[in-house]
Amino acid sequence: MKVPFSILPVGSDSAFPLRTELKRPIVALLLAKGDRQFVVFAVVDSGADLCVFPASVATRLGISLPNDRASTFSGSGETTQLAYFEPIQATILPMDAPNIEPDQEPIAFPLYAGFCETLEHFGMGLLGHESFFSRFTVSFNYTQSYFEILEPVILAPALS
Amino acid sequence: MQPIDLTAVLKDAPIGEWIALSFARDRIVAHAPTLSAALDEALNLGEKQPIMMKVPPPHAMIL
Repeated sequence: MKVPFSILPVGSDSAFPLRTELKRPIVALLLAKGDRQFVVFAVVDSGADLCVFPASVATRLGISLPNDRASTFSGSGETTQLAYFEPIQATILPMDAPNIEPDQEPIAFPLYAGFCETLEHFGMGLLGHESFFSRFTVSFNYTQSYFEILEPVILAPALS
Repeated sequence: MQPIDLTAVLKDAPIGEWIALSFARDRIVAHAPTLSAALDEALNLGEKQPIMMKVPPPHAMIL
């Protein structure tokens, strides 16, 4: 699946006084647990070890937090953060737009997702290595503004 | 490939609130302080598959 980067508004600061926007690899991701499902944005983040989402997402999926599958992680600071993990189903949804290849198939996969309060301010999920990059071949073409997510090809054993 | 430009639709989005975008990403269907409230409002308005996100502050860069 080829997915265009998304451009988001962002404020300037003293280091980047002319900055008004940024470009991120974002997918529309259908998350499901039992009979509950809805779509969120998630950043394809090759620097993330795990797949994590804001805690609100868990609440809407009917997942009670805290649960007994806690894991700590950290960002750039020393403060460790706590996420609670739950097996859910995820489907990357192709976008229907003129500049996107038509008839791309959704990509469904089981996702061991973490949910944490500290990602609440960010407002999107992060798709990292465990469960996502471990499952797909992902390439980024920043200058051409797209990234590609490919399911691995399983070769059948040769018949002798 | 042309990127998906969300700058116009998010320009006046309420910072700190959850928003429900149309699946075409061209308008905000609903917004509310909580994900569930925004999602329920969007579904009630007939949007079949809204995309949910929380509007970050203007300097929400990530590492």
